[in-house]
Amino acid sequence: MSEFSIIGKPTPNVDGPAKVTGEAAYTIDMTLPNMLYGKLLRSPYPHAKILSIDTSKAEEFPGVKLIITGKDTPGGKWGLWRRFRELSDQQALATDKVRFIGDPLAAVAATTEEIAEKALDLIEVEYEPLPAVYDPIEAIKDDAPMVHEDFPSNINATRHIEWGDVDKGFAEADYVREDRFVLEAAHPCAMEVHNTLASYDKGTGRLTVWTSTGSPYFVQQNLAEALKLREGDIRVIKPHVGGHYGGKNSTMPDCVNAAILSMKTGRPVKIVFNRDEEFTTTEHRTAQHMALKLGLKKDGTIVAFEAKTITNGGAFTGLGATTLYLTGTFITMPYKVPNYRFDGVRAYTNIVWGTSIRGFGAVPSKYCAETQLERAAHDLGIDSLEIRRINAVAPGYEAPGQYKFESCGIQACIEKMAVRVKEKWPKVEKDAGIGYCAFAYMSGGIFNWIDTPYAYSSAHVKVNFDGTVDLYSQAADVGQGHNTVAAMICAEELGIGIEDIRLHMGDTAHAYTDLGAWGSRETLMNGNAIKDAAGQIKQKLIDIARLKLGENIAYDLVAKNKRVYLELRPERGLSYYDLVKDAIRANDGVPLTGTGHYTPHNKGMISPAYGMGIMAIKAKVDRETGHVEAQDVLVVHDSGQIINPLGARGQVEGSIHMGLGYGLCEEMPMDQGMLLNPEFVDYKIIRTRDMPEIEILDVPTYEPNGPFGAKEAAEATIAPAAPALANAVYQACGAEFFSNVLKPEKVLKAIKEKEKKDKEGAKPKTTSKAKGK
Amino acid sequence: MPNYRCPMCRKICSEHLDLARHYLGQTDKKHKDWLKTQGLSYASLIKAQVTEFGNKGYQALADVLKKTATEVTEV
Amino acid sequence: MKRELNIAVNGESYNFFIEPKTLLVQVIREMLGMKGTHQACDSSSCAACTVIIEGKAVKSCSILALQVNGKEVTTIEGLADGTNLHPIQQAFIDNWAFQCGFCTSGQIMAAKAFLDENPNPTREEIQMQMDGHICRCTGHNMINEAIQDAAKRLQSRDAAKRLPAQKKLQPQKWAQTAKSGKGA
Repeated sequence: MSEFSIIGKPTPNVDGPAKVTGEAAYTIDMTLPNMLYGKLLRSPYPHAKILSIDTSKAEEFPGVKLIITGKDTPGGKWGLWRRFRELSDQQALATDKVRFIGDPLAAVAATTEEIAEKALDLIEVEYEPLPAVYDPIEAIKDDAPMVHEDFPSNINATRHIEWGDVDKGFAEADYVREDRFVLEAAHPCAMEVHNTLASYDKGTGRLTVWTSTGSPYFVQQNLAEALKLREGDIRVIKPHVGGHYGGKNSTMPDCVNAAILSMKTGRPVKIVFNRDEEFTTTEHRTAQHMALKLGLKKDGTIVAFEAKTITNGGAFTGLGATTLYLTGTFITMPYKVPNYRFDGVRAYTNIVWGTSIRGFGAVPSKYCAETQLERAAHDLGIDSLEIRRINAVAPGYEAPGQYKFESCGIQACIEKMAVRVKEKWPKVEKDAGIGYCAFAYMSGGIFNWIDTPYAYSSAHVKVNFDGTVDLYSQAADVGQGHNTVAAMICAEELGIGIEDIRLHMGDTAHAYTDLGAWGSRETLMNGNAIKDAAGQIKQKLIDIARLKLGENIAYDLVAKNKRVYLELRPERGLSYYDLVKDAIRANDGVPLTGTGHYTPHNKGMISPAYGMGIMAIKAKVDRETGHVEAQDVLVVHDSGQIINPLGARGQVEGSIHMGLGYGLCEEMPMDQGMLLNPEFVDYKIIRTRDMPEIEILDVPTYEPNGPFGAKEAAEATIAPAAPALANAVYQACGAEFFSNVLKPEKVLKAIKEKEKKDKEGAKPKTTSKAKGK
Repeated sequence: MPNYRCPMCRKICSEHLDLARHYLGQTDKKHKDWLKTQGLSYASLIKAQVTEFGNKGYQALADVLKKTATEVTEV
Repeated sequence: MKRELNIAVNGESYNFFIEPKTLLVQVIREMLGMKGTHQACDSSSCAACTVIIEGKAVKSCSILALQVNGKEVTTIEGLADGTNLHPIQQAFIDNWAFQCGFCTSGQIMAAKAFLDENPNPTREEIQMQMDGHICRCTGHNMINEAIQDAAKRLQSRDAAKRLPAQKKLQPQKWAQTAKSGKGA
């Protein structure tokens, strides 16, 4: 029997009625009276000096109200890595040079969108094209063109992680192999494009901005720096958001330029990207080169692991530097790696930049690590699931100086997987295979490169005289269902129903700071803050109940089912509604309030808690066409106490969809910095007919750092999809891949290579050593 | 046990290799400029470290720090 | 030169003078201010803008408004009956068939048109029908389950509507039996 009334029960989305009736308002739906439409003029060159900009013809075009260039902006630079000020490299409009195809250098405000677009054609720009660089390995060479002048060899960020003695570990290994990989970029493809509506109040000098974002607080911070205003003079409101997936953390030129145009015209200004701009100028999943060296004992135990990566940062930093760091940490999870070294470089290049897309570095890194591990298992004659079981961590495992797993159900997940796989797929047909991938992922980040002085999450709860509750927080529901989770946590803590709660979320003016929806942080971090706030109110109700009931002080009181009662004698209790009235009367008419905060401390470098598990994919290969069919997916997952099973399932399935896309069809081919597929016609994502069935099994654990034992649920499941698929293909036909995106032509080529190797009797690509030599 | 101080800041480590790791994690001008005085460059050391397995970049800097870093006895 | 458009949307008639190049989605979103129909691409690839035109699901970004001159259009705003959600809408809620919700209007309208024609579809038929819709959040499977659930709900609803007519027959039958004197 569950101890909870609401937590753990399938709960419909609190935003459901609004979303299914078309009433949910997204930024793209919003207008204000007297509004102007803005458009950005974008560079056609990947790298060029701006010699001159002549806006005179465009200014005369009827309906054009204002045109600005870089010199007309406040000139503030911003970024999300504020602890390293030199990485605040974004600016509203390019001034001296443009750094990627699509870099904006002028903005137009006009009475209609069409007029603004026509005006762009009338702006004359003289460029001096400069040599450009697109690949990070080329970019770090001594003679490469410099994207940003203060960064020699285009080194934007580096990361080194080391523990144990890696070289000794390799010396002691029985089996060592090295593999090199190339990982492609992919786009988050949010259905709602980036767009912003900004309104400047001339009288007060204050700015209000509605924008499609994952973090109103980040936007507030960034706008303050870009516009040289005080944070407190900027209000950012996040309406419903049509998708984010990590691509809406940075504040982008739509937002900053809409604000500047509004400040200068005195009218609201709206800028909406079209889908081409969305693909070509907004942040994507970082492409990278990766080299891994793995050392195992002959029984499959990992003794040493080394990873090197050079990532294609693109023209700006965004959260790409964080992605670099997490690439080096998630790659080891969830295994015991006694000796480890990671070195990563993020290079500036002349393309649009890579950042914190869903999975945050785990997606490319696990692809490499798990396909390598699969090959190693094969060479050593060890079962694929068994090698993962041997190396999987136990609760309390600590990677020195980095992370510690408190709740940790990975072994139970693997056990459950072993049983279920036999039941589900007792036989595997010809040219089909089962591939595995184990995974773990954070529940929000501990690192503070954003340099916020605030608690990482806060919430304010107010209970009114009639018992209705107002919950305030800047936390962002971007579709993942956080509004519902927030209401559930608040309701459970107070012992009331979700129907009693009104949410006020995602607005910096009348809410409390939360860092936003990234790294799967909202449930744990905002959940803790909400539980803290509601808990303070619950305590006040309990105190009054204790006074009125007059029971022995040793007895515990609980709040549940809209009552506060003795836990051991439930018939002895008082109505929540009466207690609320008493509490307000007893406090001079002041409404009941609680303000909660949460910041993790003493939890290592990465996260207070980790979701984890193991995924298996059954796939079939068509040897004639190279087509890979993902037939069936099984995932066994430890997400601690799942708050809303409906929402968790939705997130798992959505992340698997995105992960399979990374493995099968999503790519961003570029020619001289120009994206060749900037529309859904050519950027392939998985459609419903190609989506396999997904079975999700849960291994419940209790996470002490999370509200009611909860931790992240389902960003973890994006990373294992592509490697599990590649491993399934490997099992099916022996084809090996050193890059993601298993397009038919690539699969056919890999099958032929395998056949050739088999004929030649080629030995595996390793250095196998007998122990003691 | 001897400790060694970073030439450009107060960081102290017991091993030259650890000091090198600290050093190359600093991206300010002061730290980068000192490397030039030793005939090294930040970019070259990082590239050596990331393009090959092993500790090539840090080891090269550690070797220089062995000769130049001040030994300190206080904690 | 502007031309006259006469159109009925969600049961209301409207009359506009529009540029011939105006798309139906522009009339819906900008002139009628009905924002529930969304656009998520510029290449007719995503079907988020799907509305129903005389029983057929149509991408409103891919049809000129003048092409539906004189016709009836139903948008997402026209589906619920006042405050009573349509069974498809309720099925979407109960099956968590949306997350960000941006593609949802198009999915629901396409499902409505489909179920009106094929009230008892198989899972494969649903997948075939809905394959033109991009959803980046759900991974599609929960949407298909919602549509299957909606089909059942619609069948129950329609079956329930038929019951009063059957009940009417019963008393006459009893009366005839009693008249004839034959035993119960």
